[in-house]
Amino acid sequence: MTIRQRMTLLIILTFVAISSIGGYAVVQSRGSAAQVKRVTEGVVPSALASADLVSQLKDVQLATMTLVFAPDPNLVAQSKDKLAAKKALLKGALDLQARQADNDTQRGLVEQARESLANYFAAIDDTTKFKLAGQTEMAQAYLFASVAMYQAELEGVVDTLRIEKNRSKDAAITALNGNLATTTAALSGVTILAVTLLSLIGTLLYRQITRPISRMQSMMSEIAESQDFTRRVPVDRMDEIGRSIVAFNAMIAKIQDGSAQLKQKTADIQTMLQNMPQGILTITEGNRIHPEYSAYLETILETRDIVGRGLMDLVFSDTGLGGDILSQLEAAGSACIGEDVMNFEFNEHLMVGEIEKTMPDGRVKILDLNWSPITDDEGKTVRLMLCLRDVTELRKLAAEANEQKRELAIIGEILAVSQEKFHEFLAGSMKFIDENEQIIRHHPEPNAFAIAQLFRNMHTLKGNGRTYGLLHLSNVVHAAEQTYEQLRRPEPTLAWDQRLLWEELAVVKAALERYARINEVSLGRKGPGRRGNAERYLMVDRQHIQDSLHRLETVNTGNLHELVTVRDAVRRTLRLLGTEKVGECLSPVIESLPSLARQLGKAAPIVAIEDGGYALHNQAGGMLRNVFTHLIRNAVDHGLEAPAQRLMQGKPAAGTIELRVAIDAGMLRITLSDDGRGLALGRIRGIGIEKGLIAGEDPLGDDDIARLIFRPGFSTATGVTEVSGRGVGMDAVQDFVKREGGSVELQFSDNAVGADFRRFKIVVFLPAGLAVDTDSDDEQLAYHADKPVLAPLEAGSGVSDLHVA
Amino acid sequence: MARILVVDDSSTVRDEVAGFLTKNGLDVATAVDGKDGLAKVKADAGLKLVVCDVNMPNMDGLTMVEKVRGELGNKTINVIMLTTESSPAMKERGKAAGIKGWIVKPFKGEAVLETFRKLAG
Repeated sequence: MTIRQRMTLLIILTFVAISSIGGYAVVQSRGSAAQVKRVTEGVVPSALASADLVSQLKDVQLATMTLVFAPDPNLVAQSKDKLAAKKALLKGALDLQARQADNDTQRGLVEQARESLANYFAAIDDTTKFKLAGQTEMAQAYLFASVAMYQAELEGVVDTLRIEKNRSKDAAITALNGNLATTTAALSGVTILAVTLLSLIGTLLYRQITRPISRMQSMMSEIAESQDFTRRVPVDRMDEIGRSIVAFNAMIAKIQDGSAQLKQKTADIQTMLQNMPQGILTITEGNRIHPEYSAYLETILETRDIVGRGLMDLVFSDTGLGGDILSQLEAAGSACIGEDVMNFEFNEHLMVGEIEKTMPDGRVKILDLNWSPITDDEGKTVRLMLCLRDVTELRKLAAEANEQKRELAIIGEILAVSQEKFHEFLAGSMKFIDENEQIIRHHPEPNAFAIAQLFRNMHTLKGNGRTYGLLHLSNVVHAAEQTYEQLRRPEPTLAWDQRLLWEELAVVKAALERYARINEVSLGRKGPGRRGNAERYLMVDRQHIQDSLHRLETVNTGNLHELVTVRDAVRRTLRLLGTEKVGECLSPVIESLPSLARQLGKAAPIVAIEDGGYALHNQAGGMLRNVFTHLIRNAVDHGLEAPAQRLMQGKPAAGTIELRVAIDAGMLRITLSDDGRGLALGRIRGIGIEKGLIAGEDPLGDDDIARLIFRPGFSTATGVTEVSGRGVGMDAVQDFVKREGGSVELQFSDNAVGADFRRFKIVVFLPAGLAVDTDSDDEQLAYHADKPVLAPLEAGSGVSDLHVA
Repeated sequence: MARILVVDDSSTVRDEVAGFLTKNGLDVATAVDGKDGLAKVKADAGLKLVVCDVNMPNMDGLTMVEKVRGELGNKTINVIMLTTESSPAMKERGKAAGIKGWIVKPFKGEAVLETFRKLAG
């Protein structure tokens, strides 16, 4: 039975008890009321009426006597009427008594009274007759004899009836009282019984409800207190309490499940914290370290004294971080903890990501720091988590890996250059380094000429390195070149410091030596290679030798004409040994042009070479490459316009660079021209004035202005580019050519005298002996390294011959 | 009418913060100290966000914010403090004045831009 049913039952029972008691009381009171009514309206008046009978009888007696003793007939007549009325009253009263008789005794008495009354009235009638007949004495005698006798008899009967009635009335009242007492007793009994029963049932039901509830409550409290979620409250009923217990047990089961998971997770986290090779700690209010941290933190920081210490002291002491950084860090931590998580975003950049911490024994550990906020449900940062990783080894490995990567890259760079060319490059570069070393040594004080020479050498070295694609090297060289560039300025931003320059040069030298070492050791390319040292060894095409041998062996020695032909052919073959076409010689710079053009946002130029059938001796190759690397790269950088600009001027997007080789007036002449915008005479003039090379009012011709570009330190580029624009080009070119006994000229190829831009070509004159005519048999052009056929022209003489073509 | 008010006595910080926010399309006004800031908050009902230095002459930042909340009865305007240090006492005072956040100088624009947009929206 459920509690609700129990309660309902209790209420119903109470209602039933109250209604039955009430009903009973109503029935009883109704019975009592009827009885009372019967007593008060029947028995009592009847008893009173029976008492009246006696007086009425006396009235009749009196009226009879009045009649008998009436003196005259009138009075008799009157008395007679009175008597008749009294008689009727008496008779009626007796009839009433007859109707109201309760029992046989009373009825018998009434019957007896009636008989007696009949006799009494008969005697009175006789008496009356006597009186009316005038026989007064007779009437009197009859009155005292017969009438009195019947009257006495009737009186006796009536008196008995009265007594009987009174007794009957008393009995009725007694019975009524008895009845009322019984009713009261019964009602009290029933009420007591009902109350007792209800109390019993109520107590029973109450206990059935409260006992299990209090038992449940005490068990629940026990479980809650002991936190022993394996226990359950027993279910022995399926009422509301039972269902509550089932629900409670289900909840406990869930809690047990949840707490088991929580325990497992806590254990997992603990295990992780104990075993992960990472230092993890959390930071609470006031930048203090929370007691739970990963065990490895002790290994990283090499201390067990962690709990309760300040973050700044534990992690950031001995890190060499400046006071300001530390103060920012401290404030940032404090600004985040206990605040909305957006504060972490605001200040995250102040949280240091890597530190170098010095251990007590002087070792330096590199620690990687990773910060994250731990937030609650409201998005508030309750703690900061800091993960520390010791990356000292990692950094070392990474550095080694980078070193290896660089070495591989260098190997790739070297492999792209043939052994001979690389050897030549190294030898040439070392010469520049040695020269710079000497210059620095001999100049304790700054000297413009020396600085210009230092810069030229380094710039050429860089250009050559770039041309061969030796990028790591050129980056190192670039740094040294920058220093010279700063020293070279009219108002130097650097002070001349021999020691620093020396050290910087040593870095370049070390880089070169590294390249040399990799070339020799890693690549096994020791020495100049088979084709190296062209002055002592010659490369010979086996086919040519075999052809020549074959012709010599099979020639008809008897035929002089044939013999001469064979001799000429063999001589030509031998003469061409150790030579290369200008295109072959300049291939490194020509091949580097597309990438150069791309850097400058220009279309890859077309290089048109007209070698005039001449080959050039190998030993001139280094010089030619130095010279034309400058000239051709300058042409691309300064001369050729960007594609859009070219298209607007009706030129093809890609520019053309033309190279012509000829022998003219006993000199080898190499002419370089391009279809770019020409020589920027206006700008050159302006820069000349700006740099104090010329005065503004000087009346200079185009030739005079053009000559300025050969002056050391002249530059026309508005910005220093990675490619050229150092203003060193023509200066250096002239230097190289002069060393070989040649000269450089700039010749205008249009008639636009005085224009801002003029078309021009650069002509490099070199001793004719550097060239061999591949078709000619002319022996006079044979080249002897030690003894140029023609004396070199003075550099100035070439320039002074500038003429308009 | 602006949406953000930058209050700092240092013109460098003002220029940096206000300049950055303006460059990123936010509507910014500036004030040179707490007094000036209070007057501007009072005068401009369109302000949604106050970015306020702590240490300033005439009236410091925290006092200014307390007056904004108390005298002006403005409980809705968002307040972010710019500071060089952060102490529990300051934070306690800030919390009581309904301050949303603390930015430790130097200020990094990218880190705050999105949140500022939201707070000023």
